[in-house]
Amino acid sequence: MKIILHFLKPYRKLCVFTILAMLLDVAGGLVVPRLTSDMINIGIGSGSLDYMIRKGMAMLAVTLLAGGGALLGSWLCADLSAKIGRDMRNAVYDRSLLFSAHDFERFGTGSMITRTLNDINVIQQSVVWCIQMVLPVPAVCVMGIGMAFAIDRAMGFLLIGVTVLIIVLAVLVTSRASAIFSRLQRLLDRMNVVLRENLTGVRVIRAFRKEKDEEKRMRRSFEDYARTSVSANLLFAGLESTAFFVINICIVAILWLGGDRIGAGYMKIGDITALTEYSILIMFYIIMAQMVIILLPRARVCIQRIREILETEPEIRDGAERMGDHIAGTEPVAAFRHVSFRFPDADENALTDLDFVCRRGETTAVIGGTGCGKSTVARLLLRFHDVSGGCITVNGKDVRTISQKELRSHIAYVPQKAWLFSGTIADNLRYGKEDATEEEMRRILSVAQADFVSALANGLDAHVAQGGTNFSGGQKQRLSIARALMKRADLYIFDDSFSALDFKTDAALRKALKGEVSDAAVLIIAQRINTILNADQIIVLDEGRIAGKGTHEELMKNCPVYQEIAASQMKGGE
Amino acid sequence: MAENETNIFEENQEPEIPANAGRTVLRLWKTMGRQQIRLIIVSVSVILYTVLSVAAPVYSAGIVDLLWREIREALRGEDVFRVTWDHGGREIMILLLIYTATGILYTFQSFLMASFAERLSLELRTRIGEKLNRLPLSFYDDHKTGEVLSRATNDLDKMAEVMQTGLLKLFTAVGMVVGSLIMMFRFHIGLTLIFLIFTLLSMLSTKLFAARTLRYAMRRQQAVSRVTGQVEEAYSGRNVIKAFNQEENSRNAMKEAVEELADTSRKADFMMNAVNPFIRLVNRAGQAVIAVSAGKLLLDGVLTVGTFQAFFQYVYQASEPLTEAAYMINSLQSSIASVERIFRLLDEKEIRPEPDRGKVRREQNETGTDNTGMELQENEGGWQKAGGRGQVRFEHVRFGYAPNHILMKDISFTAEPGRKIAVVGSTGAGKTTLINLLMRFYEVNGGRILLDGRNTGNMSYDALRRNFGMVLQDTWLFDGTVAENIAYGKPDASREEIVAAAKAARADFFIRTLPKGYDTVLSGDAENISAGQRQLLTIARVFLCDPPILILDEATSSVDTRTEMEISRAMKDLMKNRTSFVIAHRLSTIVDADLILVMQNGNIIEQGSHRELLDAGGAYADLYNSQFA
Repeated sequence: MKIILHFLKPYRKLCVFTILAMLLDVAGGLVVPRLTSDMINIGIGSGSLDYMIRKGMAMLAVTLLAGGGALLGSWLCADLSAKIGRDMRNAVYDRSLLFSAHDFERFGTGSMITRTLNDINVIQQSVVWCIQMVLPVPAVCVMGIGMAFAIDRAMGFLLIGVTVLIIVLAVLVTSRASAIFSRLQRLLDRMNVVLRENLTGVRVIRAFRKEKDEEKRMRRSFEDYARTSVSANLLFAGLESTAFFVINICIVAILWLGGDRIGAGYMKIGDITALTEYSILIMFYIIMAQMVIILLPRARVCIQRIREILETEPEIRDGAERMGDHIAGTEPVAAFRHVSFRFPDADENALTDLDFVCRRGETTAVIGGTGCGKSTVARLLLRFHDVSGGCITVNGKDVRTISQKELRSHIAYVPQKAWLFSGTIADNLRYGKEDATEEEMRRILSVAQADFVSALANGLDAHVAQGGTNFSGGQKQRLSIARALMKRADLYIFDDSFSALDFKTDAALRKALKGEVSDAAVLIIAQRINTILNADQIIVLDEGRIAGKGTHEELMKNCPVYQEIAASQMKGGE
Repeated sequence: MAENETNIFEENQEPEIPANAGRTVLRLWKTMGRQQIRLIIVSVSVILYTVLSVAAPVYSAGIVDLLWREIREALRGEDVFRVTWDHGGREIMILLLIYTATGILYTFQSFLMASFAERLSLELRTRIGEKLNRLPLSFYDDHKTGEVLSRATNDLDKMAEVMQTGLLKLFTAVGMVVGSLIMMFRFHIGLTLIFLIFTLLSMLSTKLFAARTLRYAMRRQQAVSRVTGQVEEAYSGRNVIKAFNQEENSRNAMKEAVEELADTSRKADFMMNAVNPFIRLVNRAGQAVIAVSAGKLLLDGVLTVGTFQAFFQYVYQASEPLTEAAYMINSLQSSIASVERIFRLLDEKEIRPEPDRGKVRREQNETGTDNTGMELQENEGGWQKAGGRGQVRFEHVRFGYAPNHILMKDISFTAEPGRKIAVVGSTGAGKTTLINLLMRFYEVNGGRILLDGRNTGNMSYDALRRNFGMVLQDTWLFDGTVAENIAYGKPDASREEIVAAAKAARADFFIRTLPKGYDTVLSGDAENISAGQRQLLTIARVFLCDPPILILDEATSSVDTRTEMEISRAMKDLMKNRTSFVIAHRLSTIVDADLILVMQNGNIIEQGSHRELLDAGGAYADLYNSQFA
C-alpha cells in the first residue's frame, strides 16, 4: 500500500480532481430521482406545467453536469493510471540495473518480465477500479441516507438499516471470496504449468510411457480448478441473489412504512420513487465495490512482487576509490588471491582457493568440465558476483573498492552465450565504442573472422533480430567477439567464446587476435584444448578447485585431470 | 510463486464469428449428456422468473394507486391513514411474495448454472487432456504450444463464463425487454416511442465508441509489443549491457518505450472508461424528456402515480439489456467460436489405436504399474527375449512427414544386441527421424522395423517403448523437485537409487550446490540450472530406468567434452549387453561405435565402423577430417 501511495504522491492534485469528478457523477445519480419524485408530487398536486418543465430542465442540467463529471473522471483516471504505470516500470527497470547477477537470478528473467509488464498492469487497473468503484461508496451512502433524512426521518433510518445490512453481507462474502480467489489463481497457474509440460514434453512422456500418469496429473489439476471455480461462482450467485432480495424487502418496507408516513402527512407519495432509487443506487455501488475488492488480493500480490524488486538492496555496491589511468607496468592486470566463492544458500563452494594472475601481453586460460566453475571466474572479474573469500584485484585495486562502471570500462567481455541486441550490426558494434567509424568496424570484423558481414545485403546496417536469432551460432559468436574487440581494454575475457566455431575459424581467429590485443591481458575460458594449446598459462579447474597450473606441455606431464581432458578430445585423432 | 501467463491487454479484439454456430451449439448440447436436464430446468425457471419480474411493477403500481386513493380519502375525512392488513397490507404482502418467488428462482438458476458450466468445461478439459496423449507427434510439430494451451484454458474459460452468466442474462434479457415493452406500450404509446428513440441513440453511440476503442486498443497493443520486446531484451542481455557500461542508453530506450505505452494506454483506457458514462448520459437525458412528458400526462390525469412509477421501472428494466445487446451478442459469438476451436482440436486425427491385445496387456499393466521397465522385462517371460535382447532391424523403411513428400526412401540396417550404433549427418539429414520411427512417434509408410524379430508396428506402445531409454537434445524437466525429475521413469525409486543415478550421470556435485540439494524445486523454465545441468538430470533419469536400449539424441551437445567422456565411460558400463543409438555432432564421441550410419537427405549413404569408413574415404572421412584438421 505504501508503494502505491509513494507512486501516487507526485499526482496528488490529479487524484483530488479525479475524485471530485467522480463525486459529481454520484451526486447527479442521486439528484435525478429526487427531481423525478418532485415532478410526481407536482403532477398529482395543483402544480402547473410550467413548473414541471422547469424541473425537467433542471433534470437535464444535472444529467449533463453529472455526465460531464463522469467523462472528465474517466479521462483523469486513465491519465493517472498511465502515469503511475510509467513511473513504476521505469522505477523497476532502474532498480534492476543495480542488481548483481545473483540479485537478478533470485527473481529470474521470466519473473522479472512478468513483474515489469503484467504485474504493473494489474496494479494500474486496480488503482483505477478503486477510484471509480470503491471510493464513491462512502459518498453515495452518506449522500443517499442524507437525502432520505431530508424526506423523512423514519425513511432515513430505514435506509441506514438497509445499507448496514448490505455492507455486512458484502464484507462476509468478501472475506471468504478473497481466499477462494487466491486459491483459484494458484490452481489456474498450476493447470497452465501442467498443460504446458504435457505439450512440450510429449516425446519424453511417451518414451517413458507416462501417458496415463500424466492424464491423472492433468485430471487432478482440472478437478481442483473446477471445484474451486464452482465455489467461487456459488459465492457470487449467493451474494447477488441475497442483495436483490434485501432490496426487494426494502422496497416493500418503503411501501408499508411510507404509506403510514404519507398518511400521517410527513411525506408525499412521489417520494417513494426517490427512496426506492436511493436504496437501489446504494446497493449497486456496494456490490460493484465488492467485486473490485475481491480482485484486490491479486493486486496485493502484484504490489508485493514489485515491492520485492524495489526494496531489494543491491548486493554489490560501488566502491568510492578511483583506479587512475596510469598503472605500473609490472602490476598484473588481474589477480585472484585465494578466492573462494559460494552461491548464497548453496551447500558447497562453487570455487575454492583460486590463486592466479593475468599479466599484460599474456594469455591465461581456464579449462574444466561443465559446472566446475569456469564461467564464474569471468563473472567474478566483472563483479557480477562478489567473492566469498579472498580478493580479486584489477590493476592493483580490489574490485570492491572502485565503481563497477570504472571496473568494467577496463574489461572487454565476450559472454558464453552470444547475445546480440535488436537493431543493426553497427549498433551492436557501437556497444564497444560509441563513436566507432565504419573503417574501424570493418577492420575489427575481419579480425573476428566475421567478414561474412560484408557479404550481407546491407552490410554493417544489416538487421539484427532480438538476441541475434537471425544469425547462426558461429556468426553470433564472431559478432559478439567483434563487439568486445571494438573496446580498448586492459583485460579481454573470452568466456567459452570459441566453442561455436569450427576448428579452422577458431585457429584463424586466435592468430588474428594476437596482433590485436598484444598489450593487454587475455583470459580465455574454454572447453577445447586446441583453443588454449598456446596459452602462456593454463588453469585447470576441477569441482571448483585448481587441479593444475602451467603450460600445455607441463600439464600433459603432471596433471591427470588435464590429461583426461586431452585424451577425451584427441581420441580418434591418432 | 506462480507466474500469471495471461496477457491482460487482450480485451477489445475484433469479435470473432463462428463458422457454423448451429452445428457447434448442437454438438455442445450433445456433449452435455445427462446435464441437459439441468439446462431444461433452468429454462423453465428463467421463464417463470421473467414473467414474475415483468408482472411485479404493474402490481406495485396498483398498490401505490391504492394507497394514494385511500390516503386521499382519509385526508378528505380529516383522518390519519395507516397501512393495515385490509388497507394495502395484504397487497404489499403479496408483492413481497412475488419478490420472494423471483429471488428464489434467481438463486436457483444461478446456482444450477454455476456448477453446470464448470462441469461442462471440466468434461471438455479432460477430453482435451486425454486427446493430447492420442495426438500424433506431427500435430505437435505443426502447432505452437501456446495455441494448444489457450484451447484448454482461455477458450474453455470463455465458454464457462458465457454459460454461467451470459446465457442466463441473455435469456432473461430477451424476456424482460419484450415483456417490458409490451407493458410500456399498454401504458402509453407516445412515451414508449420517446424511450425507443433514446435507446436507439445510446445503441448507436456504443457502436461509435466500439469502433474507436478498437482502434486505440490496437495502437496500445503495438506499444505493448514494443515494451515487451524492450524488456525481454534488456533482461536477457543484462550482462552484456553491464559489461559494456550501457546502462544509461538502455535506461533511455526503456523510458521512451514506456512513455509511448503510457500515451496510448491513456487514450485506450479513456475510451473504455468513458463508454458507460456516455450511455448513461444519453439514457438519463431520455429519462428527463420522458419525465416531463409523463408529468404532463399525470397533470392531465392520463397517468396515475402508480403507472408513472411503474413506467420508469420498465424503462430501467428494458434499457440496460438493450444497450448491452451488442456486447452480449459479441461475447456469445466469440464463445461459440471458442467452442468451435475446442471441437476442432478434439476432432484432430489420432494415432493408430493400440493393437488389440486387451487381456494380455491388462495383465501386464497390473503387474507392471509400479515396476521399472527392466523388471517388467524379466516378468514378461519368453516372448520378448526370443530373438536375443535389443536387436533392432530396419527393413526397407520408407517414410515422409507428409505422404506426398517422402523423406526416407529405403532404409535398411541391423543393430545387433549390445552394439553401439552411431548416426551422423548434417541437420535435416533424418537422424532424429530415424529415432522417431524406432520409438513409433511416427508410423512408417513402408517397410518394417523389427525389435528382436517382432514387427514394432504390431506391438503396443507400452510394450515397445519400455525397451528404450531416451535422452533428447531439448531437455524436458517438469515443475517438481530434482529428485522427482530424476525418478520420472521410476516413481518408487528410493533416495539412494536416485543419488546413485545422479552420481552415475555426474550430476551429484552440482545438485548438492543447489539451495535445497535434491529437494530443490525446478520451476517453470528452470532458470536456476544451466542447459548442461538440465541435460545431466535427464541423463540421470535414464540411468535410473536402466532400459535395454538407449537412445542418445545429441544428448551431450551441451555438456563439455570431459564430462561427456565421463558420462560415456559410465554409459559404457550401462551399455554392456545393451543396444545403443547415438546421434552426435561431435565425431569424437562416436569413433568407437560398432556401426556408424552416415545419413544424407533421409538416406543412409554409408555404413560401417570408423576404420572402415575412414579407409573408404567417402563422406564420413571428409566430415571427420574437417572436424579434426
